[in-house]
Amino acid sequence: MKAKDTISWIGFLLISVFVLFPLFWGIRTSFSPRYETSLIPSRLTLEHYQSLFVRPAFLLYFKNSLTVTLGAVALTLPLALLGAYALARFNFPGKQFGILLLVFPLLPLIAILVPLVSYMYKLGVYDSFMALILVNSVFNIPFALWMLRNFILNTPVEIEEAALLDGCSKIGALCRIALPLMLPGMIAVIVFVFITTWNNYLYAAALTSSMSVRVLPQALLSFIGTWGMYWEGLCAAGMLTLIPPLVLFLFFQKWFIAGLFAQWSR
Amino acid sequence: MERSRKQESSRKGGLYILWEYKLPYLFLLPSVILLIFFLAAPLVSGIYMSFQKISLRGISEFVGFRNYRLLLGEGRFRNNLLFSVLYVAGNVGLSVPLAYAAALLITGKLRGIQFFRAIFLIPFIVTPVVSAILFRSMVNPSFGPITALLEMITGKHYIILADSTLAMLTIIGHSFWRSFSFIMLFLAAGIATIPTELYEAGKVDGAGAWARFSHITFPLTKIHLTIVLLIITMWTLQDAETVYALTQGGPGYSTEVTAVRLFKDAFINFNLSYGATIGVFLLMMSAVFMIFYFKLMGGAEHY
Repeated sequence: MKAKDTISWIGFLLISVFVLFPLFWGIRTSFSPRYETSLIPSRLTLEHYQSLFVRPAFLLYFKNSLTVTLGAVALTLPLALLGAYALARFNFPGKQFGILLLVFPLLPLIAILVPLVSYMYKLGVYDSFMALILVNSVFNIPFALWMLRNFILNTPVEIEEAALLDGCSKIGALCRIALPLMLPGMIAVIVFVFITTWNNYLYAAALTSSMSVRVLPQALLSFIGTWGMYWEGLCAAGMLTLIPPLVLFLFFQKWFIAGLFAQWSR
Repeated sequence: MERSRKQESSRKGGLYILWEYKLPYLFLLPSVILLIFFLAAPLVSGIYMSFQKISLRGISEFVGFRNYRLLLGEGRFRNNLLFSVLYVAGNVGLSVPLAYAAALLITGKLRGIQFFRAIFLIPFIVTPVVSAILFRSMVNPSFGPITALLEMITGKHYIILADSTLAMLTIIGHSFWRSFSFIMLFLAAGIATIPTELYEAGKVDGAGAWARFSHITFPLTKIHLTIVLLIITMWTLQDAETVYALTQGGPGYSTEVTAVRLFKDAFINFNLSYGATIGVFLLMMSAVFMIFYFKLMGGAEHY
């Protein structure tokens, strides 16, 4: 048994190095003087971060990303919550189609992006935050709804029934009793929608064209074009982009991971 | 539509049934409307658009299978399809077996998993464009560590992203980095559901480590393997953004997978008919993979 433990720990260590090396490299490069070749830089510098903040555009892109992401969370969560409650607590004809919610996230959504762009044109929201919020929400709703459904299934229905007997209305019971119990599930969904929306490049590239609504991943790619191979600055911008999703993830990882992996095995 | 008809019929059941059914439909209605309007409808429009020739001014005419014929007649597009298969096969073939082995290795230490799980899952939540930039800077010809490592091993200085084979390996390696730990944790979660009594019974019967694996662990995790294969295949197949961010499909067209071709045609060159048609090709490829894996899963249910 001892030998197996040692092998396991070596495995953990190797995987950790593999997983963390690119991030270490990004941090290292963003603090290194230009053209530093050794793995451990001889001196550290903040100049690349400073050069980002003297450009007002970077802050604008950061704000844009935040607007779109929070908008998508705000639209997805209530809709998914309502739908999830219906799927978990009611029996009704057509319920079996709920399993489709697990198939949607697997489909190559890039395939419907072309018609979707022309829809957005016709709706008059092309090149706006609204288009990005809508598309990110729609593509997140299926998995978010399914995740919440499973969380609700795992909270005991008896508490809601007791509340009903006490004379609460069904919606009153849902709000006062069930919502606090679903908090871990809601947080998992919020983190999930936040991360997928924040990280997305494709929909933004397809649905917007002007600089004023550009989000961070788009900005990063355009930096490559305008800065050439200024890797130190690109890594600095990349590391700043990672902070919000990484902080959210590390802070709520227990609930997020539980929410993520529980869904597929049911 | 189906649902509202059933809602009509339930009205006969009196006020109680109406109340019972109306509420869940009402709750689901906003989500269903959005999904029909922005997911199902564009799917149909996309197929319709693939049979049209659409000019930049938005004037369209019906051309039958012309787009399909033109695309399939192109050597470049046939390569796009081939590179998609290579990209998927490369990533799945590399990450699933290694992640399965790693999952078997780490399940003995559940305490360790709790601690390392969050670290392991980081690549999965890193912004794809950012990880692509990190990989690009790691293979950059002037000071990239992977370039240096390759030079140490082979003794030759490569400009990695200018070499078509190495560029393909870079996009596969990048996807491998992003998906490896997700697959490992997914499979570890599956292995953890196997009751320990089975292993104890196996030991009593004198089954060795290999017999315990091939008769207990493998059959009982076949379903998890199938699901994770499906998830990773779909993600890799539709991945346009990391490949585009890493290589733009180059050098030449040597890493231009189907999804990247779609992205470039539709949103950079504004060839909407080609964009829609390539979308249909991608959907057909997904359908083929899905049917294949569901057949596999059907086989798994016999255990």
